[in-house]
Amino acid sequence: MTFAHLARWLLTGLVLFAFVVLLVSRNSYSNQDRESPLAGASVLHPAGTDALGRDRLVRAAFALLLSTGGAVTASAVTTAAAAGVGTLAAFGPASVGWLAMLVCDVFLALPWLFLLMMVRSALPLTTSPANSAAITFLVLAALGWPACARAVYRGALGLRKAEWALQARAGGLRSGQTFRYALPNLLSLLLPQFLISIPAFVIAEANLGALGLGIGEPLPSWGGMLLELDNSALLVQTRWVYLPVALLILMLLLLEALVAEV
Amino acid sequence: MNREALLRVNLQARYSNKPVLHDIRFELQRGEVLGLVGTSGAGKSTLVLSLLGLLPWRNGRVTGEVIFEGQNLLTLPEREMRKLRGRHVALIPQSPMTALNSAISLQRHFEEAWRAHDKSGRPALMNRLQVLLAEVQLPSDVPFLSRRPSQISVGQAQRILIALALLHRPTLIIADEPTSALDAVTQSQIIELLKGLNHRYGATLLYISHDLVSVLQLSDRIAVLDEGRIVESLPVAEFGQARHPAARSLISALVVPPDVLLSFRDDKEGKLPLAGLAKRQ
Repeated sequence: MTFAHLARWLLTGLVLFAFVVLLVSRNSYSNQDRESPLAGASVLHPAGTDALGRDRLVRAAFALLLSTGGAVTASAVTTAAAAGVGTLAAFGPASVGWLAMLVCDVFLALPWLFLLMMVRSALPLTTSPANSAAITFLVLAALGWPACARAVYRGALGLRKAEWALQARAGGLRSGQTFRYALPNLLSLLLPQFLISIPAFVIAEANLGALGLGIGEPLPSWGGMLLELDNSALLVQTRWVYLPVALLILMLLLLEALVAEV
Repeated sequence: MNREALLRVNLQARYSNKPVLHDIRFELQRGEVLGLVGTSGAGKSTLVLSLLGLLPWRNGRVTGEVIFEGQNLLTLPEREMRKLRGRHVALIPQSPMTALNSAISLQRHFEEAWRAHDKSGRPALMNRLQVLLAEVQLPSDVPFLSRRPSQISVGQAQRILIALALLHRPTLIIADEPTSALDAVTQSQIIELLKGLNHRYGATLLYISHDLVSVLQLSDRIAVLDEGRIVESLPVAEFGQARHPAARSLISALVVPPDVLLSFRDDKEGKLPLAGLAKRQ
């Protein structure tokens, strides 16, 4: 069994574990146990509770699913957008390609995190938690595509010059057909791009959350949970605060390992 | 011969500021096989792209005229030109392995090529493939057609490309060094195949090669391309008397004189260059 296999199994196991926790636990992510805030491990709360008496394990599990699900969706949107823009830029007229890449360069030159904060903070503060989660990942997807589009453009430009692309034109294939014809060749480029974007988006969401601009309470997120690390007194009191952080890092490393194996 | 030529070419071509083809003039009659020989770098591939209107795709420019069935291809809008490519003028390329898209199946190649010019759908294509693949001596079963280009031999890939070129029964076939990547046995099989097409269907063939031996085997007429110019154009039987230094050096590079090679030429179905036409059904 290779390391990639192991990583895949562990990652699947982690996600399944999160599902099982949510199904089995009597606590919900927003239930506040007023009797025992900041409690240690117990039968009722295997990983203790936070300052509002909410179950940490349930919150960590829910955050894992929310972050991963959101990041995977955002990554899929980004990769699809990048595939479209990059391929059209490469196969279209030279002026279109030039313009598309100029837009990408402008996007890449922008201070990314700062812009993300600006865009996110420009949105109303009264949005519902579910909407805030959707908006966060949408913003991430909207800002994440240019780097990927550049890579796809380079790859597609190589395909355009390929002998078979010329042969396809010599056979009278339409532009749309040539585009479809080229797409399977880009899969080996798009798949790593897709996988690389997932941990990047998880981290970006955590950064936004740690600044208070991510997914809104009471929905749990990595970033929101990391906010608690601000309180050093709390760190001394319960080391379970480290658990979501450890899980987050583990998951990211696993995903990176998966990418390397592609 | 007072018939209108199928193809009349008079062109010049350049890449940015570098002229590649200075003066290309030749005619091609219906049913004829014209062999175009030239050393590497003489401009053979540029000529192929110019004829198909694909030189802009490689950042080149063509001036002059290419009259095909009475219309000038160089002034034809890209829309019309696309309809012509593959349907009326087809290309058999030089390197079979790189000319096929490695990410898709052989069947998909045929489907896309079919859809480019024909709306009659899959059953019609499958009927056509049965006949066509038998013609180029390839199996037409599903397991074979679902293979990727990397799962077949170079010789099979070249036959696939010939089948792709023949798919819409084009009037003119341009073969750009179709045998240069093949071993000697496969080479002669491909030459036989092309010869058969010319004899059976009267397909007009522009056969471009640096290999004078295969050109002598196949052609009715031979033109020599040297440094972007057609410097010699003779019926194959008179090629031994060519005077231009480029033609002479090609001839002197042969192991035996062209007349000896010609005496071995296997013209079972027609002795004379245009005899194939008379047999056209």
